[in-house]
Amino acid sequence: MYGQPYWDESAYYQFTLKQIEQDIEDPTAELHQMCLHVVNKVIHDDSLMRRFQIPEQHWDYVAESWRQQAPSLYSRLDLVYDGKHPAKLLENNADTPTSLYETGFWQWLWLEQQVNSGKLSRGADQFNSLQEKLINRFAELKHQHGFHQIHFSCCDDSEEDRGTVQYLQDCAATAGVSTPFLFIEEIGLGDTGYFTDLADEVITHCFKLYPWEFMLRETFSDALPGAEVQWLEPAWKAVLSNKALLPLLWQEFPNHPNLLPAFFEDDNSRPADGKWIKKPLFSREGANITLIEGGRDAISLSDGPYGEEGFIYQQYHALPKYAENYVLIGSWLVDDEPAGISVREDTSLITQDLSRYLPHIIL
Amino acid sequence: MSHSQKRSKHINLHKMRKAFSLKPLAIGVAIVFLSACGEDGDASKIYVSVDDCQKENPDAVSQCQAAFESAIEEHNRTAPRFNSQNDCEYEFGSDRCQYVQSQSGSFFMPFMAGFIVSRLLQPSPYYSQPLYTSFSPYSPFRSRWVTSNGYVFDGDIRRRSYYAPSSVYKPKPAVNRTINRGGFGSTVRAKSSWGSSGKSSGWGG
Repeated sequence: MYGQPYWDESAYYQFTLKQIEQDIEDPTAELHQMCLHVVNKVIHDDSLMRRFQIPEQHWDYVAESWRQQAPSLYSRLDLVYDGKHPAKLLENNADTPTSLYETGFWQWLWLEQQVNSGKLSRGADQFNSLQEKLINRFAELKHQHGFHQIHFSCCDDSEEDRGTVQYLQDCAATAGVSTPFLFIEEIGLGDTGYFTDLADEVITHCFKLYPWEFMLRETFSDALPGAEVQWLEPAWKAVLSNKALLPLLWQEFPNHPNLLPAFFEDDNSRPADGKWIKKPLFSREGANITLIEGGRDAISLSDGPYGEEGFIYQQYHALPKYAENYVLIGSWLVDDEPAGISVREDTSLITQDLSRYLPHIIL
Repeated sequence: MSHSQKRSKHINLHKMRKAFSLKPLAIGVAIVFLSACGEDGDASKIYVSVDDCQKENPDAVSQCQAAFESAIEEHNRTAPRFNSQNDCEYEFGSDRCQYVQSQSGSFFMPFMAGFIVSRLLQPSPYYSQPLYTSFSPYSPFRSRWVTSNGYVFDGDIRRRSYYAPSSVYKPKPAVNRTINRGGFGSTVRAKSSWGSSGKSSGWGG
């Protein structure tokens, strides 16, 4: 992919069951609940909605999706974990997480093949119930929330995103959901205020691999309340996936072992010394990250198109390094339940979308 | 928490694949099986024609006619639509689809196979919705009744009496035409120009 290895079968990471359950699984569930606590606070506070850069004309729409408890599908917490110390939350990819297929399917298949060919012990396990949980969640969405048909959608400029969406379509279809596809750019607005697919059928339920912070600023955003679509992820994920969540988590749960100190840009209580990472509120794939040292921009770690919307500061925490590689754990949740991990490594400090993806085992 | 196994037990290798081709635009009709009895809902009857209805309700000839007409109207508005005859017949069976040309374009849709009515004899407003059935061996609603909303009644099409939940009678949202497309996706075009690699990596995280 793009001339660099992405999936790497030459190596794997090995964890103990205790590391997985106590250091990753349980903290993931707890961090998620802490994040939801913050979402609830933000939804009920206009000044925070402003801080999160939710466009004011859509506050009601976002808040209403939270009040109605619009169901969610999945998210991914990015954790720094060295196997010994408490895992630290780097960020919450709650709206448009990817590398799902590699985690839920390929990683599982890899272990199956390694075990069958005798290269790994029969006792080797993997923290990876992602696919099973996704299928169960789609069945639940269908039977309890009326998601009989879900339109699936992503941008038409990315093969990788199309692959992710196809995988989710396959999971949903397995659960008996009908799964038509169209590109985000193809979504239409009908004369009666509903969104339409290319056959002019009304879109009532839609999975979109497209961020809310974009959608809320685009032409069709004003039609959102009238269109009555049940979105996956729901609109309240605009709050959950926002980097402004990080300073608020630190305010609400100071010194929590799984959190790194984090502050808003204009917060004077941030210690002046030490190393800090400056991140834009909306950045994804590690774009526009700057390392601050001694109060000055020291190193721009990555370029990107983000930053107009403001920044937050998070205390620098070195990623563990094995051989020449920095390692990041992606910890998945399906709805509220921890569902597995993916391990990505990169030769640079910031894990971007070209990072290698490695399988793991529990032994 | 402790579980004996931390990973998915079974993965269906045939159903899951990375390679894919875009599917036709056919709008499949999703299914939910309504339980046969003991469920809250309106006592409802299914008829295959006005005549069928009138024979069973000789005192309600005009109501039968009105219920049928209202179902036809709803059928024209909300029947599943397909771009090709093939897609439609795959779902509903051969010779079970009609070609429709309207101001919003042309498409294929299944014939209405019956209509479901509730409260026909009561003074309160009655409800009526079009029903479809499939003769296709590939369809999950072969020989069953299905609404345009995608509800499949359990039991064979010969069964004509159900307690139908109110959602069956909820009008399906519909549009007459699409006035505009492309209202989502513009931010990506703006931000995609960034970067030296020239690749498009998608907008996931």
